[in-house]
Amino acid sequence: MLTSRTAARSLETAEIGPAIEGRSLWADARIRFFRNKAAVAGLIVLIFVALFALFGSHLTPWSNEEVDWSVLGNVEEAGRPSIATRHFFGTDALGRDLFARTVQGTQISLMVGLIGAMIAVVVGTIYGATAGYYGDRVDNIMMRIVDVLMSVPYMFVLILLLVVFGRSVLLLFVGIGLISWLDMARIARGQTLSIKNKEFVEAAHAIGVRPATIIRRHIVPNLLGVVIVYATLLVPNMIIYESFISFLGLGVQEPLTSWGALISDGASQMQYGTLWMLGFPLFFFVITLFAFFFVGDGLRDALDPKDR
Amino acid sequence: MLTFIIKRLAVAIPTLLILVIFSYLIMYAAPGGPFDSERQLPPQVMANLMAKYGLDQPLIVQIARYVWNVVVHFDFGPSFIYKDQTVNDIIRQGFPVTLTYGFWSFVVATSVGMSLGILAAIYHNSWLDYLAVGISVGAQVLPNFVMAPILVLTFTLWLGWLPGGGWQGGQWQYVIMPVIALSTSFMASISRLTRSSMLEVLNANYIRTARAKGLPMRRVIFRHALKPALLPVISYLGPAFVGMITGSVVIDIYFSTGGIGIFFVNSAINRDYSVIMGITILTGALTVLFNLVVDILYAWIDPKIRY
Repeated sequence: MLTSRTAARSLETAEIGPAIEGRSLWADARIRFFRNKAAVAGLIVLIFVALFALFGSHLTPWSNEEVDWSVLGNVEEAGRPSIATRHFFGTDALGRDLFARTVQGTQISLMVGLIGAMIAVVVGTIYGATAGYYGDRVDNIMMRIVDVLMSVPYMFVLILLLVVFGRSVLLLFVGIGLISWLDMARIARGQTLSIKNKEFVEAAHAIGVRPATIIRRHIVPNLLGVVIVYATLLVPNMIIYESFISFLGLGVQEPLTSWGALISDGASQMQYGTLWMLGFPLFFFVITLFAFFFVGDGLRDALDPKDR
Repeated sequence: MLTFIIKRLAVAIPTLLILVIFSYLIMYAAPGGPFDSERQLPPQVMANLMAKYGLDQPLIVQIARYVWNVVVHFDFGPSFIYKDQTVNDIIRQGFPVTLTYGFWSFVVATSVGMSLGILAAIYHNSWLDYLAVGISVGAQVLPNFVMAPILVLTFTLWLGWLPGGGWQGGQWQYVIMPVIALSTSFMASISRLTRSSMLEVLNANYIRTARAKGLPMRRVIFRHALKPALLPVISYLGPAFVGMITGSVVIDIYFSTGGIGIFFVNSAINRDYSVIMGITILTGALTVLFNLVVDILYAWIDPKIRY
């Protein structure tokens, strides 16, 4: 909290200096974002979680698959979190170091979140912008397809795919991304409809720029604000989806793990009093989701032209 | 109105057909047949089995027959793993349970979520508002698979008030925790949606007019504000319903309630394709149906929608 306040204050003072130079829209948005304390706190939490995922494995002597035989059979007592045994988060029921596993699970969960959101954003934006730009018949057909796909129970279809084609991380990433591009397509289309009637698009059209280039050079860059906001709010949903599937035991395979799998493991051991197995993964899960929601809200306030 | 309903049906029916065909294709493309086992069956036996289930026909005939059976006879065929059970038996066994706690979750999520949102908007910036916002922000990060262990930990292991699982024909002690676990995150979304749309409506000019002409607050809210404020919430009910049906998977695993979710996961692990397909199609049909109802409801309430 202290750091966030000083960061916000230093930015507020910095803002006074170069104000005369005139600010771009993005600089404006950045200032608005950093004034929002909850969003800045969220950003700091996210940086902390990212650092934990990147460098956490260097902090522990244990690897995520190594079994500590000295605690096996007596995990309730010997597997407690302690500095002495170097099991900072304790061990899981099989005597594997929970700190190392949490680091590794964080990597997978963050990666699924980011890659899934990226796929959804790229596919959705291109699809929506194309439908919106061409309009009429093309728009009608393309959005009708989105309507049809919207009413498919995707979670079940994804599970079906995972079962039929085998559990692979790649399929999980792509599948989760493809679940969520529909909303993005609708949002992008709506924005495109209003952008395409602006003068600069008309001008580009008049000098003979091809439609594909207009979409790429003129429409998509103007969608970016909305897209970024939506993408940030999408990441936590992706993480929830992945955790849900891993909770069912259909996600990443051992020795790899993810937050959902860790929470599921921890929850199944609860009655033996080994609460750290549930607590630590749950803690990281919850703070990351909170942080993403706060950052997303902050970005929306900063970038959404409606609320100015 | 009638044309609108027909138009919506014209979208709903192909959607279902696509879902049925798509799931059949996935199943068809799956490596390994349904009768592969450790012991290699003699080719004649295999051929007989394939013929019995109609799997020796060309793909297009298989699909047509499957669609026909599903649509006309509402028959999803036999289970590949449990030889004495059909998919319909399994659905009949699990579905009432899922519907019971799904229905209550839906009731709880909408009623509590909406009231919380409305109260928060009316008493904007009061402690009630902050409480409602706090609850909805907190509940947002507690999806059912996180909520379930926390509830069991609190009410079963620490307080010992409620049984940790089981169904027992749906006695209330066994229903409470599944319902709370399933409804929390949806309640949060509904209350957030209601609050923001209610705030927007309460700031509108016609509300100011209504208050200026001296109507009591109660009347302003119930007569003028509520209906337009709840419109965006209604459109969220479709996805919320789907989420609750999907969430039954976690509830059934965690609380051993024996609903449709546990059959789905078990058949997913055992590769019992016909059961997976049956459940996927059934939930798909429910989803489409529910979205249809929500759309019609929406068109009926909202005078701005032309049809």
